Amino acid sequence: MKKTVNMVIRHIFLAFLAFVWLIPIVWLLATSFSSYKGINTMHFFPTEWSLDNYMQLFFRPDTVANFPAWFRNSMIIGVFSCIISTMFVLMVAYSMSCMRFNGRKAVMSFAIILGMFPGVLSMIAVYFVMKLIGLSNSLVGLIVIYSAGSGLGYLICKGFFDTIPVSLRESAKLEGANELIIFSKIVIPLSKPIIVYTVINSFLAPWMDFVMAKLMIRSKDPGDWTVAMGLFNLVQRTLVGDYFSVFCAGGIIVAIPISVLFVVMQRFYVEGITGGAVKG
Amino acid sequence: MKRRIISMLLVATVASSLMAGCGASEQTQEETSQETGAETTESDSEADADNAVEEVSEAAEEVADTTETTESAGNAEAVENLIAATEDTVDLTLWCSETEAYQTVMAELVEDFKAQYPDIDFNITIGAESEANCKDDVLVDVEAAADLFVFPDDQLVDLVNAGALQSIDATFTYDPKTANAEATVDAASIDGTLYAYPLTASNGYFLFYNKDYLTEEDVASWDSLLAAAAEQGKTVGMEVSGAWFLYGFFAGAGLDMYLDDATGKNVCNWNATDTQYTGADVATAITEICKNEAMVNCVNEDAQAFALNGEMIADVNGTWATNAFMEAYGEGYAAVKLPTFTVNGDQVQMGSFAGYKFIGVNAYSQNPGWAMLLGEFLSNEDSQTKIAVATGEGPSNTVSASSEEIASAPALAALAEQSEYADLQRVGDNYWSPAATLGESIVEGNYTDAQTLLDDAVAGITQ
Amino acid sequence: MKKVLDALKKYFADFFTSIRKGDIWTKLSLIIMGSGYIARKQIIKGILITAIEVFFFAFTLGFSLEYISKLNTLGTVQREEKLDLTTLTKTVNDYDNSLLILLCGVIGILFIVAFILLYISNIKKVYEVQVFAEKGKHINTFREDVKELVGSKFHITLLTLPSLGVIIMNIIPIIFMICIAFTNYDMDHQPPTYLFTWVGLDNFKNLFTSTSTITFGYAFVRILIWTLIWAFLATFTTYFGGILLAKFINDRKTKCKKLWRTLFVVTIAIPQFVTLLLVGKMFSDYGIVNSICNKIGLTAFLQDIGLVSRGLSYIPFLSKPGWIHVMVVLINIWVGVPYQMLSATGILMNIPEDQLESAKIDGATEMQIFWKITMPYMLFVTGPSLITAFIANINNFNVIYLLTNDYVTTNMKFANSNAKEADLLITWLFTLTNDYSNYKMASVIGICVFVICAVLTLISFSRMIAGNKEEEFQ
Repeated sequence: MKKTVNMVIRHIFLAFLAFVWLIPIVWLLATSFSSYKGINTMHFFPTEWSLDNYMQLFFRPDTVANFPAWFRNSMIIGVFSCIISTMFVLMVAYSMSCMRFNGRKAVMSFAIILGMFPGVLSMIAVYFVMKLIGLSNSLVGLIVIYSAGSGLGYLICKGFFDTIPVSLRESAKLEGANELIIFSKIVIPLSKPIIVYTVINSFLAPWMDFVMAKLMIRSKDPGDWTVAMGLFNLVQRTLVGDYFSVFCAGGIIVAIPISVLFVVMQRFYVEGITGGAVKG
Repeated sequence: MKRRIISMLLVATVASSLMAGCGASEQTQEETSQETGAETTESDSEADADNAVEEVSEAAEEVADTTETTESAGNAEAVENLIAATEDTVDLTLWCSETEAYQTVMAELVEDFKAQYPDIDFNITIGAESEANCKDDVLVDVEAAADLFVFPDDQLVDLVNAGALQSIDATFTYDPKTANAEATVDAASIDGTLYAYPLTASNGYFLFYNKDYLTEEDVASWDSLLAAAAEQGKTVGMEVSGAWFLYGFFAGAGLDMYLDDATGKNVCNWNATDTQYTGADVATAITEICKNEAMVNCVNEDAQAFALNGEMIADVNGTWATNAFMEAYGEGYAAVKLPTFTVNGDQVQMGSFAGYKFIGVNAYSQNPGWAMLLGEFLSNEDSQTKIAVATGEGPSNTVSASSEEIASAPALAALAEQSEYADLQRVGDNYWSPAATLGESIVEGNYTDAQTLLDDAVAGITQ
Repeated sequence: MKKVLDALKKYFADFFTSIRKGDIWTKLSLIIMGSGYIARKQIIKGILITAIEVFFFAFTLGFSLEYISKLNTLGTVQREEKLDLTTLTKTVNDYDNSLLILLCGVIGILFIVAFILLYISNIKKVYEVQVFAEKGKHINTFREDVKELVGSKFHITLLTLPSLGVIIMNIIPIIFMICIAFTNYDMDHQPPTYLFTWVGLDNFKNLFTSTSTITFGYAFVRILIWTLIWAFLATFTTYFGGILLAKFINDRKTKCKKLWRTLFVVTIAIPQFVTLLLVGKMFSDYGIVNSICNKIGLTAFLQDIGLVSRGLSYIPFLSKPGWIHVMVVLINIWVGVPYQMLSATGILMNIPEDQLESAKIDGATEMQIFWKITMPYMLFVTGPSLITAFIANINNFNVIYLLTNDYVTTNMKFANSNAKEADLLITWLFTLTNDYSNYKMASVIGICVFVICAVLTLISFSRMIAGNKEEEFQ
């Protein structure tokens, strides 16, 4: 008897927590179907339901919101920067974990220290460096920004590589394989979880970042913006009254690819985090 | 110091250029003033035209009279030269407000501009930029900013200080100094140099109210307004804690706050004790207003929501909210100048900031000539009328402002009524944070000594 | 310390021996860097090295030298423009841009340093080749050199591009911003129109002074303390929250584990800035939460017990100090726990079963097992990432910036230095640069954040870096 009561209490408690966690999400979803464009401060659920926000998002791009273009831009940036950063992370992690060379430890410590410097501060300098190279105000520039420094985030991946038995590599070497072959034929196939983890993280960055993107993309044509920039702009003071529910609809749409990615990759993701963290 | 040298240099340049450009300009000059005159008589004949409008026109006439001796429009020859010298495509970017109405009307006007110069190949792009962030965006990298941008007057000083604005040394198609209301020209000038083309003159605030609930007597003073609202269980809104709105109370009571161009610092006597109404009196008066249960201290977006659900029957706000309140109040929609408030038992008229929007030309523009011509075109009488009709913002051009369709809009009429008590918004950056903080404290009313509160605020504002 | 000095000594000693003992070709390499290789038939290598040399001199003489030479003043010629009103064309003098001078100067100097290092090691290499040739040893052909790059020198192949990226994206900007802290780059000295210049340590002095108008010192101390408190709370609440939740969901007595987990993970799917902006709107003064609290009488109740002042008709969740501090921590729990739960789930699954079993057989209660076995294991495994998380929270820009965007401080001393009670150092310096162009003070604050983070990390990581643990696991 006591057991059943315990069970019920346990599940009620969990349900309560889940409820708390889901309230904002439900509100987001509900508001995205509201026919009132501003923030509804009086009622949790909209008084009138409509699909208009989604229609507007997809089929009626205007001078402020051009969601199809944002989505395309973010997708391009996301895909390319995720390919490049994943490669960089794997390359650095392999050198740090599997190779032994002079100054390796020094480089590792230096990388950690470098990662401490507040990125927000050096943004303006990054902007002018990009301008010097001629890449400011372009998607290529943003791809470079999101992926170029990614090598610094090698730590978790290195932790994962550390767990790959050294004997595997040794025996491959005995059979005459060079490091390139060991890297591409042995280590990488074994590191699926950590690759997925890196891919997800680097794919998401451009969808989340609005500060850097706002600084880099000087164009005021909404067609040149990214999703994060555009959505952030919609809730600025002058626009929020007319676009809040459109913003919510945008948030929901963005969540779809991300959640699909998550649900599919969840298992790997967990393994990736923990595998790396174990020997971090 | 450096800045002053530069501005002196600029003044010298202007002076010399004016001498050069005297000949061809007189005709344009006369035409403009004639038009102004004609328009005024017209509106006179139209029975009881608005007092304020008349005054504005009169003021403009005065300006027109005096300017002949001091100023002149540029010459047509220069434009010819420019057209002749232009071979390649002219690339121009224009940043203006992101609202649909603005973008559409600007696109139309740009097309008109292109049509004026059929031989030139233009590539003009219009960008959506929220005006409030214009300065920040431009200053990050002026070289990458638009050739022309629309910005509110309070950003002028910072933009000029950063050297981002091309001074309007000469004009070619009309003279903005005479065509626009004097106050707007003053606001667009520093040390007598015009730095931008005045575009609109409606960035001020006034009172929206619902005629169905409130009478004209009710809205004359805060006391009667709040009493009437409280009686009906409704509310009245104003962002009292906002630095921009808070100014109205202190200015109305005769206290000063302005930017001293010479020092680059704010001058503020809100903590004065030797004035007719002391700063502490005003602070107490504001707190009294806020204590009323019908009073809601809220920002624009909240006010619009409250108005829409019928809770709020009056709100101090600006022209940007016109459409929202029209929708919310329907038949009862009305607007009027700000109410009076009680200080030491006296009824004192609230002041306000009068705000303007300008079109600035980027000093780093690759095509300064064309940028200036476009700026001129977008801010001429016709364009201003079109913009006003499309966006509901009042034009700064006196002729355009007095035209029937614009002057009859309640919001703009209210603004004109209030303009008598409004001051130019020329404040340094250091005003905003301390004043907002002051506003927040006054609204809450949890200070023990108003004088200390004000002393601290003034120290911050004038730092 | 002595070790470093010895290494340096040896480094230069080797260099000079190479020159002294080098033959004519090696000596010629002092001028034409590739000549030593070409003489030993390493022709392609020789050409490549010489090409680098030529490129370097072209770059330095043609581009960066001009900027480097102006570094000491950061420019002297201010921009002056003149619009010719008869042709409507503009003439601008050849002006200095302090920002470009500093940036290109930094880049130029980095190039020179890199070149000197390459130069020294090149001479040593050339000498080595000479020695090899004299002794009749085998000298690598170009093909063999390339082969080495995927073999024993594979790390060079792997690290070149990522390092280049880090240099461009991190190192150059960081050096640049550190330099800014010693200049007067602010609202009144904005390039390109105006010049800024070196001012030494003035800005650092500013940070530690407190007068009625310069209140950076006042704001700095308080914001620093709040930043540390925040980082501590944010890290540990989400950490323990995540572990407890994971434990709860993974417990044998819980049904439909997957369903529960998915419910929480859903919150991750929506981009953080969307949820934060949304939650910020929900808790605004007249937002939905306040409407509901008003309706159910919570606001009135809080007023009765004195938590909300009488003058307010709403609960100031995000508009009063104290309230906002608590709220950001709570909202951060909401944001962070699902992530932590996800990773904790994986780790919990890895706890050696036998330990748990034997503990149970010994009659340990669940509580004891949790505190004696699970937690120590978790801490052991996630210790390092806990510190990373702490640092990340010190620099947690998004949560604070998006939630405190509309907050107005009522403390004049904060207002006078453009700060707010709920600001972290990082958001404060963002406001300074973004809204007030006050780069000099922002850089000073940035350096402080950097030093704090670096010290904390060095203390906690030193064991990890120094210890030789990595091999143990392989």
